[in-house]
Amino acid sequence: MNNKLSAAARREEYWGWFMVAPTIIGLIVLNLWPFVQTLYASFCEHLGFGHYKFIGIQNYVNMFRNAEFWKATWNTIFFCILTVPVGIALALLVAMLLNAKVKFKGGFRTIFFLPLVCAPAAIAMVWRWIFNGEYGILNQMLGAKIQWITDPKTAVLAVAIVSVWSSIGYDAVLLLAGLQNIPKTLYEANNIDGAGKVRQFFTITLPMVSPTLFSVLIMRLMASMKVYDLIYMMADETNPALTDMQSLMYLFYRSSFVAGDRGYGSAIVIWTVGLILLVTLVQFWGQKKWVTYDI
Amino acid sequence: MSKVPSLTVAGLLFILLLSITGCGSSADGKTHLTFQIWDVYQRPGMQAMCDAYTAQHPDVVIDVQATSWSEYWTKLEASAESNTMPDIFWMHTNQLLYYADFGMLADVTDLYEDVEANYYETHFSEISRNNASGSDGRLYGVPKDKDNGLLVYNKEMFDAANVPYPTDDWTWEDLTDASQKIYDATGKYGFMAYNDDQLGYWCFVYQAGGHILTADRTQAGYTNPGSVKGMEFYVNMQKEDWCPDQTYFAETAPGTAFFSEAGAMYLEGNWNLPQLMENYPEMRGKWDLAKLPKCADPIEDSESLDQDGRATMSNGLCYSTAARGKNREIALDVIKYFGTEEAQRIQGENGAAIPAYIGCEETWRSAFDSYDEKLNLDVIFDQFDYAVQAVYNSASPKWKSQVLDELTSVYAGGQDLMTGLENMQRIVNTETAKKLADD
Repeated sequence: MNNKLSAAARREEYWGWFMVAPTIIGLIVLNLWPFVQTLYASFCEHLGFGHYKFIGIQNYVNMFRNAEFWKATWNTIFFCILTVPVGIALALLVAMLLNAKVKFKGGFRTIFFLPLVCAPAAIAMVWRWIFNGEYGILNQMLGAKIQWITDPKTAVLAVAIVSVWSSIGYDAVLLLAGLQNIPKTLYEANNIDGAGKVRQFFTITLPMVSPTLFSVLIMRLMASMKVYDLIYMMADETNPALTDMQSLMYLFYRSSFVAGDRGYGSAIVIWTVGLILLVTLVQFWGQKKWVTYDI
Repeated sequence: MSKVPSLTVAGLLFILLLSITGCGSSADGKTHLTFQIWDVYQRPGMQAMCDAYTAQHPDVVIDVQATSWSEYWTKLEASAESNTMPDIFWMHTNQLLYYADFGMLADVTDLYEDVEANYYETHFSEISRNNASGSDGRLYGVPKDKDNGLLVYNKEMFDAANVPYPTDDWTWEDLTDASQKIYDATGKYGFMAYNDDQLGYWCFVYQAGGHILTADRTQAGYTNPGSVKGMEFYVNMQKEDWCPDQTYFAETAPGTAFFSEAGAMYLEGNWNLPQLMENYPEMRGKWDLAKLPKCADPIEDSESLDQDGRATMSNGLCYSTAARGKNREIALDVIKYFGTEEAQRIQGENGAAIPAYIGCEETWRSAFDSYDEKLNLDVIFDQFDYAVQAVYNSASPKWKSQVLDELTSVYAGGQDLMTGLENMQRIVNTETAKKLADD
């Protein structure tokens, strides 16, 4: 192929490679190579300080036999069910409100975007106090005495609330951009036809914003499946509800870095990658049914 | 035209090379050492020791870096893998065997040969030496400090309930009686028994004549009758009205509860006392220290310590350096100095920790000189007479978190205590046997 190219075209090709080199080198060094290492480590026992012994599929056998692992898988899926639909619906609602003709629009946009600017650790610390069973403001307001973070029934819910709260702003800004791309003429024509607001939402807004919605959905699902930092910050090691709230990534952290069992931890990571891959494939297949790319 | 990219690449590479090699040498011609610790409160004491060293060795600069406990071990392990460990660092008994047995730490057994024969035996206790020893019996750190756990109590609550303050002869029954009376009279919690090993059930297990590990550290002892007695007493305290349960402690640490005057007693490590005095000025004078209560009727067997039902846990850190460190020789000289009477005295006088060096222990009292309100510090020094070495073996990093999970499940009602203890017994024995077989 290359031989047929003129000298100028070849130079251009070299330049192309040169331009993308930083990204490609970065991807290989920071993403691809660690992934290969993780895959290899998942078939090994970690002896300590980076020394591995190949043990075949033993880590996977142990993992699939472990009730804690299945519990963590379910916790992760349950967390996604709790956060993704509600989070995206709320983000869409917020985006539509911010897109409407309201006063102090800029102010509201800033407020909704604020959680994203805050450090996740700080967010978790503040929410821990809000949820505190003894002194928390939430229980004061509700007049209840719910142990939000330490009761197995409410622990995942508490983390999900914080997760939704901190992601709404970012998703809303993306969706807002999508909403603003919808030509005004469509709504005008629709008005003339005498359609109501609800019909307008389902026939114009939703289909027109669906490509953005699809991107947001994919990103939010991936983020939810990888949830770790919120749980780490909100639950102590002695929390009796820990096994009821720990996600796959949290289990990975505890296996790899607390117990030092990196082979087993890597197996959990590979399993999680597989899950995310599966869910994303299903979404790409499913998008044909509801995402509209042309008017 | 085509020359331009290669020139650019060459230029970029050149800059990259410069930045890599630039790290190696320092501009001032001095040797720069890093000293990694995990307790920010001890930083002034560590800095004072380093200043004393660099005053005698002006060609050395030591940079003291403090991180959090959990981050410390993640970082240290990663740096050990890439042979970029800090020049000097603290070692903890939980981790020392893991690092030492892998050949990551420099052997310091003969460090003081030119100074004095049997230097370690003369100046450090057996517990201190054990805490710094690898499986091969060699020393991989210079003993730094020693500590123990003690009973902290709120004098005002005892007064309000008309209960006499804890005495040296207090038993478990006195502890529970006082707790009940304080709860009845004031509505405040009594003794706050939370899910912790060193400042919790370990103490009670050894008081009851049980053991967590046998003396040779090869077998667990959770199901030993004395251990069961201690565990039953300790874990079941949370079932009493006067003790909060684990859902409470998971959100509110017992220290936080104590200093917000929600409870009357808890176990605290002596290393935290200076910062508690500093952080809670309004509480000064309202609380004091007592020895741990003793078990009146321990179940003795061949593994028991035979201490009349008394025990508290004692741990100690040491100063280590990497086996293959870049500045190994200078770092060894620094930690050699850290083990001298002079340096240990500086550590004590700065209130950082109780020096491991025998004869310097009392210098640590000066940490409290600036306060008019006095604590009964004598109990700490008296408790060393029967303190038990903190429990660990070379498989500790593997079993510690698993054992915690089992006990957490017991507290949460997921399994009964006996099942939990049997699981803990099995976990520790399995991991220990596996580790011994690997070695």
